[in-house]
Amino acid sequence: MADEARKKEIYEKLRTGVIQYDEDACREGAQEAVSEGLDANEAIFDGLVSGMEEVGRLFEAQEYFVPEILMCADALYAGLDILKPHCKQMDLGVKGSVVIGTVEGDVHDIGKNLVKMMFDVAGFTVYDLGRDVPLDKFVDEQLKTDSELVCLSAMMTTSMVGMPKVIEKIKAKNPNCMIMIGGAPTSKELADKWGADGYAEDASNALKEAIKMVAFLKKLRDEKIQKK
Amino acid sequence: MNSRERVLKLFKKEAIDRVPCFSGMGNITETGINKLGYRFAGIHLDAKQMAETAATTYKLFGYECGVVPVDLCVEAEAMGCIINVYPHAEGILYPTIKEKLIHGEDDMDISVPKDLATRGRIPLLKEAIRLLKADIGDNVAVGSYVLGPFTLAGQIMELNDLLKLSFKKADKVAKLLDVMADALVIVAKEYEKAGVDYITVREMGATSDVLSPRVFKNLILPPLQKVIRAISGFSVLHICGKTNDIVTAMMEAGPTAISVEQKNDVAESRKKLGSDALIFGNFDPYNVLVSGTEDLVRSTMRKCIDDGVSAVWPGCDIWPTVPPQNMTAMIDEVKTYGGKK
Repeated sequence: MADEARKKEIYEKLRTGVIQYDEDACREGAQEAVSEGLDANEAIFDGLVSGMEEVGRLFEAQEYFVPEILMCADALYAGLDILKPHCKQMDLGVKGSVVIGTVEGDVHDIGKNLVKMMFDVAGFTVYDLGRDVPLDKFVDEQLKTDSELVCLSAMMTTSMVGMPKVIEKIKAKNPNCMIMIGGAPTSKELADKWGADGYAEDASNALKEAIKMVAFLKKLRDEKIQKK
Repeated sequence: MNSRERVLKLFKKEAIDRVPCFSGMGNITETGINKLGYRFAGIHLDAKQMAETAATTYKLFGYECGVVPVDLCVEAEAMGCIINVYPHAEGILYPTIKEKLIHGEDDMDISVPKDLATRGRIPLLKEAIRLLKADIGDNVAVGSYVLGPFTLAGQIMELNDLLKLSFKKADKVAKLLDVMADALVIVAKEYEKAGVDYITVREMGATSDVLSPRVFKNLILPPLQKVIRAISGFSVLHICGKTNDIVTAMMEAGPTAISVEQKNDVAESRKKLGSDALIFGNFDPYNVLVSGTEDLVRSTMRKCIDDGVSAVWPGCDIWPTVPPQNMTAMIDEVKTYGGKK
C-alpha cells in the first residue's frame, strides 16, 4: 500500500492530467492508483473530479473555452475507464439512475455529454438517449427504467420549446420523477414556469443540482416509509 | 419614407426619420403560416410557400423586411449533407442535419462541388427570393442569410471534433474553413443574382461563449472576411452569445453592420465602436417576444433604442409561435418611441 505522500502524488497526477488535458497522464495515474491499491472512488474524486473543478473555474475565468473543456473531458474519461471497474459501492449519499438526452429538433450534444460525464463520475446509472430524441421517448424510457431523474438538453431556442410537453407528460405519469433542463437558452424562470425541478446552464451546475434533487427525493421516500 | 427606403438609407448611413424594426434572420410567424393554410414542414421545400409565408410578417404586422430561407440547412444540404425536415411533426421543428459529410479527422480534405449553385435547394431559394421581391420588394428590403464558415463546418462534421481540432490541429481546420468560405461565397452570389438587398452572415457557432477571442481572430476571422468581402451588396455579420470582447474584430471582418444578441451590452459596444458604426440588436426573441407581456416587449424595445442600436433587430430567428399582439407592440413601440429620438 502506498504511503500518504505517494497517494498525494498520484492524485495530483490525475488532477493535473485533467487540467492539462493529458490523457496519457490520466491513464498512467489511474493505473498506478489501481496497482498500488488505492481506493478507486477516492482517486476519482480527489484526482479526476478535483481537476475538473479547476477546469470549471478556468472556464468561468475565461481562461479555458469549450475546446479545452472537451479535451479535459477526454482526459477524465481516460482515467475513469480504468478506475471505474475497481470502484466499490459509491458512498456519496446518493445513488440513482438518470435518463438524459437532447430534445428532438436539436442535434447539439456537447453540453449533454458534459452533464452525462458528471453523472458517470458520481456513479449514476445513465440511460443516454443521444440527440434529436423524440419527446415521447423520454417519457417511455423514464417509465421503463423508473429513473428518479430526467435531464433534457437543448442548445437552440428553436428546439427548447419542446421541453414543457415532456415535463408535463412525465409528471402526469410519475409525479415524483425529478426533471432537470439545461442548455444555453434555458433559464431559472423557464424551469419554474414549465414545472421543471432543476435548471443548469452548464455541466458543473448540473451535477450540483442533480445531487441536490436526488437527495431531496430520498428524503421524501424516507418520510413516506416512516409514516407507514 | 417607406420601410424599404428607410432600411436602405440606414445601410448607406444616410439620414433617416427613425430606427427601423427589421431582421436579417428568420421571422415568419404561425399567424402567417395559418392564414395561408400551410404547414411549417412544407414551406422549406416549396419556393412559393416559402416566399408567401415570408411576406406575411410585413403584410400582417408591418415588419420592415422580407427574409428567406426559414431554416439553417440550405448550404450544408447543397454541400452533400442529408437533412431532416421532420415532415410528420405536429408542431414546429426546424430542419436539422441527419447525415454529415465528414465522419472523422481523415475525411476533412474536401472540395466545393463544381455545380454547387444548382445543388440542393439553392435554385429553390433563388426562386423564393424572386417571388418575395416581386410581391413586397417595392415596400420593404428583401434579405437572405448564409452561415459563417465555422458554423457550416460544424454542420458538415461533428462539432465536438471540430472544436477540439481547432485547438489541436488548427491548420487542418483553417483549410476546411477556407473551403467552407468558398462554398458560402458561391451561395451568397447566387442570392445576390436573385436580387436580395442585404445578406446576413450567421457565424453562430463561433461565439465567445465557446471559443476564445484569440482563436476567433486567428482561425475564424480570415475565412469570415473572405465571405463578407465577396458580398457586393449590404452585409450584416451576426454572432450569438457574449460578443463584447469581439465586436471590434467583428467590424474588422468588413460587414456593413454587425448584429448582436441580448448577451451583448450594446451601450458598451457603442462606446467601443463609435457613433458611426451600424449595430443591430439586441432583444431576446423568445423570452421577450414570445413569452413576455406586451409591456415587457415595449420596455425592451425602448431599452434597445436607449442603448444605441442602429436598428431594432432580434437576437436570433423570431420563433413562429410569437403572439400577434407582441409583434404589433414591438413594431408600434419602435415607431413611436424611435420616432421621438
